[in-house]
Amino acid sequence: MLERTSKDPTETAGVQPARHVPFRGAGFTPAASRWAGWLALAAVLVVWQLVGGLALVNPLFLPTPAMIMRALYRLAASGALWQHVSASFVRIVAGWALGTASGIAVGFAIGLWRIARSIGITFVSALFPIPKIAVLPLLILWLGIGEQPKIATIALGVFFSTTISVYSGVDAVPRNLIRMAQSFDVPFPTIVRKVIWPGALPSILAGFRITASVALMLVVSAEMIGAETGIGTFVLQAGNLMQTDQLMAGILVLSLFGLAVGRLISLLEARLLHWR
Amino acid sequence: MFGYAKVVLGTFLALASIAAARADETKLRIGVLRLSSSAPVFIALDKGYFRDAGLDVELKFFDAAQPIAVATATGDVDVGVTAFTAGLYNLAGKGALKIIGGMSRDRPGFPLIGYFASNKAYESGLKTPKDIAGKRVAMTQVGSSFHYSVGLLAEKYGFKLADVKIVPLQSMSNMAAAIKGETVDAALMPVSAARKLMDEGAIKHLGWVGDETPWQVSGVFAGPKTLANAASVSKLLASLQRAEREYHDVVLASVKDGTAAIDDRTKPLLDIVGKYTNLPVDQVVGNCAYIDPDGKLDVKNIDSQIKWLQAQGFADPGYDAAAIIAKDYVKPD
Repeated sequence: MLERTSKDPTETAGVQPARHVPFRGAGFTPAASRWAGWLALAAVLVVWQLVGGLALVNPLFLPTPAMIMRALYRLAASGALWQHVSASFVRIVAGWALGTASGIAVGFAIGLWRIARSIGITFVSALFPIPKIAVLPLLILWLGIGEQPKIATIALGVFFSTTISVYSGVDAVPRNLIRMAQSFDVPFPTIVRKVIWPGALPSILAGFRITASVALMLVVSAEMIGAETGIGTFVLQAGNLMQTDQLMAGILVLSLFGLAVGRLISLLEARLLHWR
Repeated sequence: MFGYAKVVLGTFLALASIAAARADETKLRIGVLRLSSSAPVFIALDKGYFRDAGLDVELKFFDAAQPIAVATATGDVDVGVTAFTAGLYNLAGKGALKIIGGMSRDRPGFPLIGYFASNKAYESGLKTPKDIAGKRVAMTQVGSSFHYSVGLLAEKYGFKLADVKIVPLQSMSNMAAAIKGETVDAALMPVSAARKLMDEGAIKHLGWVGDETPWQVSGVFAGPKTLANAASVSKLLASLQRAEREYHDVVLASVKDGTAAIDDRTKPLLDIVGKYTNLPVDQVVGNCAYIDPDGKLDVKNIDSQIKWLQAQGFADPGYDAAAIIAKDYVKPD
């Protein structure tokens, strides 16, 4: 047809001349560049240090990276850092595991059964928005001031987010896959295990990313309850005492925690979702 | 050409002199808590003592001591009046503010901060303040004035502070929950917060910090920008002292058994305090902090507070009371 149009222009008077169209349908594949992130981070740190070093900003308001590292070093050298990190680590892991396990159970129930759905969604919607700090006095009355209320604070925060991401993941599993399995008379537990679980997994893992950060944020609220050690306690205390360099050092530790957890979940995604 | 320049210069000079004239009628923002320990500030404002001295004072209310120190350091308020905290000393140690006068003190006969026991702990033998050695004691924060009070108690009765298990709970509501729920044995609370719990029978009163270990609780402080204006600082302190003298001679002189009398002389002042603290007069009378009539500051005690906080690791090392006090204004005790 192309040949004909070029040979006989009169016949195709109303037709546009052919255009070369480059391939457009590559999709969006934001590949992470290995260096760009680190370079940007380094540039910010250098500028930050310069701003502080040239005394453009009072170091009290914005301690320089060098001051923060010094505070962190002193903390590590005194051995207190490990006590704080390990105390918080136990709370975060316990709270997150508890919240996630119960969240997955309830989320699946909501996704699979009608009664659980109507009751569950009502309760989740009603209880999720309650700020955890507001109920700390209640948690203290119910659970005392030991480890339980701290773990419960984290677990509560994690539970609701997990529940929501799990049931929306279950809802998003293609219905025709489930119907097909049902037509082949696959037993219910097997459908859950072989069709729904893998189908919901991407959304559940995305939920993990959020809940891991929620757990890290809540460790500070949790350690408002009479904690003597813990990275949240350390941050609170540094804030109360206006030791801003130590405050930033504590925040840095929390961020590093966050980065490590993010990495871990990426690995988990690569392993569990290789079929995608 | 030169004529034009003269006009421009003239305009600038005129503007500058207007600005200077405005600066003369000094405007001051004072950060305070709604507590009776700041009574002289309320009295001086309400009775116009600040205005008489040529100051245009505006009060900014906060709900905790620490943010006042921070706001003073950042210049959001010009002067702060509140309790001395480790955070305040650390800001002062970095040169962000200086102490210019004294305010309330814990002193025998004037209830301010008390030691309280849970009912269960009271029954099992926690009857006096010195019994809190080895107990679990709730307070707002480590390094707070409550923590320091326990430190003073430990010094007085010769027990180790390390023997007391300090339970920082960040807020009064958390502390109330903990002591009601018997998960701590004791707590240190200001009388204003404890009164309701005492009346409910939820806690037992063990004693007052003022009776056990008197100390300088709060003071007046200012940032560098305010300090540079010596005239307005002097005016401020003079008008505060006028109110302090009046408060001391009228209200504090009538205090018996920790309660001020309500009569023709005290009523107007108590009404002013009640107005700014949002309390009815019959609650104000049981809550009168001692305030020096001359606005004196117990410098020696300030120095020992700083030393104690530094020894505990709550204050940064490397400064003492002399470094954070504006000597030109402070009258030492």
